[in-house]
Amino acid sequence: MASHNAEIRGRSFGDRVLFGLVILLALAMAGPVLYVIALSLKDNKELMVDPHSVFHMPYTIKNYIDTIGTSNVFSWVLNSFIVAGGLTVLTLILSSLAGYGFARLNFPGRDVLFVIVLLGLAVPEQAVLIARHQIFSWLGLHNTYPGLILPGLSSAFGVFLMTQYFRAIPKELDEAALLDNASRFRVFWKVLLPLTVPAQATLGIFTFLGAWNDYFWPLISATKKEMFTLTVGIASTQQNFAQSQGIGFLMAQAVFAGAPILIIYLFFQKYIVTAVSGAAVR
Amino acid sequence: MTLRKLFLATISAATVMMASPSFAATELQVQRFFGACDADFGKNTDVSKAVGECGIITSLINKFAADNPDIKVNVTTVEWPGYDQLTAQFASGDAPDIVTIHESALSDYQSKGLLLPLDDLLKTVGVTPDQFTDAAKEGATKDGKIYGLPIDNWTMLYHINMDLFKKAGLVNADGTPILPKSPEEVLAQAEQFKQKTGKPYFVQNLANETALFTRNLYTYLFQQNSDFFADPKKVKFNTPEAKKVVEMYKAIYDKDYTTKNLDYAGAINAFLAGEGGVQLNGTWVVGDYNAQSEKPGTALNKGGYAVYPYPQLFSGAKAQYADGHTWAVSKKDRSPEQTAAIGKFLKFFADNDFEWSRTGHLPAYKAVIESPKFKALPHRDTISAIATLGKPLPSAVQRQFAIQDIVGEEMSAAISGQKPVDKALADMESRVNELLANL
Repeated sequence: MASHNAEIRGRSFGDRVLFGLVILLALAMAGPVLYVIALSLKDNKELMVDPHSVFHMPYTIKNYIDTIGTSNVFSWVLNSFIVAGGLTVLTLILSSLAGYGFARLNFPGRDVLFVIVLLGLAVPEQAVLIARHQIFSWLGLHNTYPGLILPGLSSAFGVFLMTQYFRAIPKELDEAALLDNASRFRVFWKVLLPLTVPAQATLGIFTFLGAWNDYFWPLISATKKEMFTLTVGIASTQQNFAQSQGIGFLMAQAVFAGAPILIIYLFFQKYIVTAVSGAAVR
Repeated sequence: MTLRKLFLATISAATVMMASPSFAATELQVQRFFGACDADFGKNTDVSKAVGECGIITSLINKFAADNPDIKVNVTTVEWPGYDQLTAQFASGDAPDIVTIHESALSDYQSKGLLLPLDDLLKTVGVTPDQFTDAAKEGATKDGKIYGLPIDNWTMLYHINMDLFKKAGLVNADGTPILPKSPEEVLAQAEQFKQKTGKPYFVQNLANETALFTRNLYTYLFQQNSDFFADPKKVKFNTPEAKKVVEMYKAIYDKDYTTKNLDYAGAINAFLAGEGGVQLNGTWVVGDYNAQSEKPGTALNKGGYAVYPYPQLFSGAKAQYADGHTWAVSKKDRSPEQTAAIGKFLKFFADNDFEWSRTGHLPAYKAVIESPKFKALPHRDTISAIATLGKPLPSAVQRQFAIQDIVGEEMSAAISGQKPVDKALADMESRVNELLANL
């Protein structure tokens, strides 16, 4: 502690101001999260009468018991992991292969195809929702894992990101490997793919978070409670007027839904920060 | 025992099990909102011990399942109001058998031929429309047929802090609150209230809100006999009657006779903390407010809590906007056993409407509303008039939830001064008509 204080005293005035601002920003970010956690530990009826009671005892874990007591909640967590995990793995595979193809291979219509893929970035999901829902109905894909995973696989962003990343890798690396009689796939798998790990991490994080938090497509595709994802399942347990009469329960659900992401972040913190900052400066 | 005998014994046992009643149970897919409360009531079958919408409906379904072991009830709970999900289910041909639908939303599905008319089915189980209250019957009837079993009616009410009303001198000799009888009296009493108590007369949730504005407008248009939905596909909001209502609420806002910038939860907190005289809120909070009024030390315990229908401010019909919840049945091919099981389920809810009315909603059945045990519930003597006052929009009007958002947005803009009243009413009318023209 003493060495830390000495370190701060040794800094310039500008550094100290910056340090103070960072602390303020951190508090501004952490404040709402702590408030949510505190609300989740309060009795609903007490909060309804006096919202300020959040700042003092008594606290209770009843809201968490009620959340976990909902019969299907663990299957919803499992569904979310299967959908978000499956989508992430498949998106990384497809985007990497497509990115390598667009960046390194010459084939007829490549540039036109790439522009068509990029146009996908400009099409909002809402524009294709009804047609997609109808097609999935005909194919009998609603209330199935493929029905929840397949729509996310057409990731124009992923293909674009990986293409740009592969393009930034010097071609000499491929040529050297090809001269050593390596196959195209071996060059991709052994030489280039390991160099794209920061981009894969970035794409993987965004894909996982997007799929974990997705609400509308699971709402209209997974209509059987056994197939609900966590977002849809938790929303379904909310009673009318939850925002006034069950605010503690609502906040416990928010903590519960966010906890898996937080745990993943704690485990992969160093890697995620490196990946995101790497993507930002690139 | 030889292997052959063991094999035959296994096959026989399996055959017997498959033929047993437990394997022949008729399955019903039931979908509802009102939330989940499995931790408290997931296994409860004693309905009298349940409280709140979620607790009572969960316990009622548990009781039905326990009483009818030959029927397997598979319940899916959806987020309120669940219509995106339901529409998607109908589109993919996978709709539940029985589903909760508001009376105001029945037309959206009935008009497309997706719901089963229930008159014949209900008749077979002894439930007839003449048993319904007027408000429930009107809300559940579309094109002359019943399309949902009504279970309640709900509406907005005047929730009153009697302590502040006494301080404001707005109490009759018999202890009942003095309520206004005209728009002018609303403003005069609100001014008197503000002078005497230093607080606003109304506690309203005007932030992030559309429903309250819309329900207020409908109620006072009904009271002026304004037939604004004479044509269910073309509304008339740009009228002198609508202007009177909006201008009254604008005056309330401009003269600080109401709380401002409160959302729904904030308005409840403010009313319970005694920060205003009248809160405009629904039937569903009667139980909670009554419980608060019985707790020493609370703002509502000081002088008491009273609750009334909206006062009659105009000389037209005695009416106020009401909606209700129903159980609707999807149209699909079913076996006679499945249809009979649905009939049993609906009959069970009709028979247990008193239990549901403990939520604070008004019963949908005359026998319940006239029963001593219902009248013995707190404040039901003052609010049961809703059963005859309650009036929905005409049954053929579709997209009522979407219309509510448009009306609320425009009314909010007019009241808060973002738009002139005339412009807001013109925009309200044209936006709703554009929506209805594209159905």
